[in-house]
Amino acid sequence: MLEISNLTVCYDKAMIINDISLRVNEGELVSLVGPNGAGKSTTLRAITGLVTWQKSIHRGSSDDIKLQGTVEFMGKRIERTPAHQIAAMGLIHCPERRRPFREMSVLENLKAGAYLLKSKKEIEDNLRQVYELFPRLKERSHQVSGTLSGGEQQMLAIGRALMSNPKLLCIDEPSTGLAPIMRSEVFRKIKRIKEMGITVLLVEQEVSTVFTMTDRNYVLSSGKIIAEGKGEELLKDEVLRKTYLGL
Amino acid sequence: MAFDILITSLINGSTYAMLAIGFSLIFGVARIVNIAHTAFYMVAAYCIYFTTYRLGFNPISAMLAAIVFVAFLGWIVYLIFIRPIREHEQAVLIGTIALAIALQELMLIAFTGDYRTVPALIKGFAQIGHAKVFYQQILTFGSVFVVLGLMRLFLMKTKLGLAIRATAQDRETANLMGMDESRVAMMAVIISVGLAGVTGAIIVPLTTIEPFMWNHPLIMMMAVVVLGGMGSIKGSFYASFILGFAEALVVFLVPAGAFLKGAVALSIMIIVLLIRPAGLFGVQFEEER
Ligand SMILES: Nc1ncnc2c1ncn2[C@@H]1O[C@H](COP(=O)(O)OP(=O)(O)OP(=O)(O)O)[C@@H](O)[C@H]1O
Ligand SMILES: [Mg+2]
Repeated sequence: MLEISNLTVCYDKAMIINDISLRVNEGELVSLVGPNGAGKSTTLRAITGLVTWQKSIHRGSSDDIKLQGTVEFMGKRIERTPAHQIAAMGLIHCPERRRPFREMSVLENLKAGAYLLKSKKEIEDNLRQVYELFPRLKERSHQVSGTLSGGEQQMLAIGRALMSNPKLLCIDEPSTGLAPIMRSEVFRKIKRIKEMGITVLLVEQEVSTVFTMTDRNYVLSSGKIIAEGKGEELLKDEVLRKTYLGL
Repeated sequence: MAFDILITSLINGSTYAMLAIGFSLIFGVARIVNIAHTAFYMVAAYCIYFTTYRLGFNPISAMLAAIVFVAFLGWIVYLIFIRPIREHEQAVLIGTIALAIALQELMLIAFTGDYRTVPALIKGFAQIGHAKVFYQQILTFGSVFVVLGLMRLFLMKTKLGLAIRATAQDRETANLMGMDESRVAMMAVIISVGLAGVTGAIIVPLTTIEPFMWNHPLIMMMAVVVLGGMGSIKGSFYASFILGFAEALVVFLVPAGAFLKGAVALSIMIIVLLIRPAGLFGVQFEEER
């Protein structure tokens, strides 16, 4: 479904992503893990067009931001496609730090997520589905999203991403900054999303939980993929565990 | 006297509100500081003068023609002149100053520097105590509220309105929701400049038209935006009436106050910047890396 080959991203001559290749098959839940600053978010941003967008609004010379390699989504090359068109193809990015539209209500945020849908009925159906998945959002639907708790904001961010009928959902560090109970709640919801038939690429640092629920995993460090495989296999590797996963 | 002050502050306040809201909109969505905003307001006024006296349009069609023309002009200018330099704030600032002066000079060439007026839509006035309220003033004030009400409906209830608000809060995330950020910015420009045109059209029967008429509203509009908080439409609304009132007080109560009009705005602007730099309702933009 998603196939990344030899992707390289440079910011100001610093190579942030160094020739990585990665694939996500339809129906899978795949994780991309690694320490802070490994380049996980940058990888997602490259996939969903934000690096391209950043390049287009960048003030300095055009080689300050470089993106090389190919990204293929459902058989189409998208590495030069603008972000909003990538979203329209069903590749949805739920960004780091949740990024709710803070001055809008929960409901308006969800409607913004459904921006690409034409049919009113479809929007209603998705809204019902999201409220069913996150009953908390329904209770808070008229609250201004900037005043939600961190966990609620994360639910909102995921709910908003679900509103547009994603085929592949990329979620960036949903558990960061949340209390342990909230974390497991978020992970349970992500499992549910997978069971709903949505393919998920999950960026996380919380390796111990994530490895129990994923189909496959990639470990990223300093812009390179240093390991790949099923959770239990990766955990057998002593060096990997100690040095890169912090377990 | 008290009544005159009230009328003047309401009329001026509502003009500033219309201008400042358009200005805030374009800044919020496209991060463009459009110094030429009030110059478009001037162009609308001249447009009405021209179509009324040279082409014989009736007042309503003159107004509509002016609004459409100004919105169109704004769109063309944006496409060829602003869009290529949009991300370079300083260039946009200098560019729009140049644009405002160019429009001023064009009007000066086309219409000379003479003071012009257009007739009121409805003549006559009501006498309330010692004060006169012209029907045109009531009409203008009413229209402002209708326009601002429609604007609010548009922003809150339509899909484009939603995209505009989303983009104003966080361009990057708006992009991720499938909103074409550059198209939304363009629509915001057209609406914003169109609103400047509407302001010109509504206010023109109450003012004199001359090529420098954009200067004072520009200063007031900037002060409004600083007081209300950059990017906040609600803030612009309240700040406009506060400043309109302060200005009217000075003009009516201080000897030779009319000469101090600009100073009022600038003083308030400086005080606000010193005490509360984010303004009354400052919006914090999501930082974008
Ligand atoms: N716009 C940018 N300009 C310059 N450097 C950048 C930019 N964005 C990211 N970087 C750098 O790229 C590196 C990887 O950042 P990235 O955000 O992708 O890491 P991450 O794996 O998501 O980390 P975290 O777990 O902290 O979110 C960092 O060293 C960061 O400083
Ligand atoms: Mg990150």
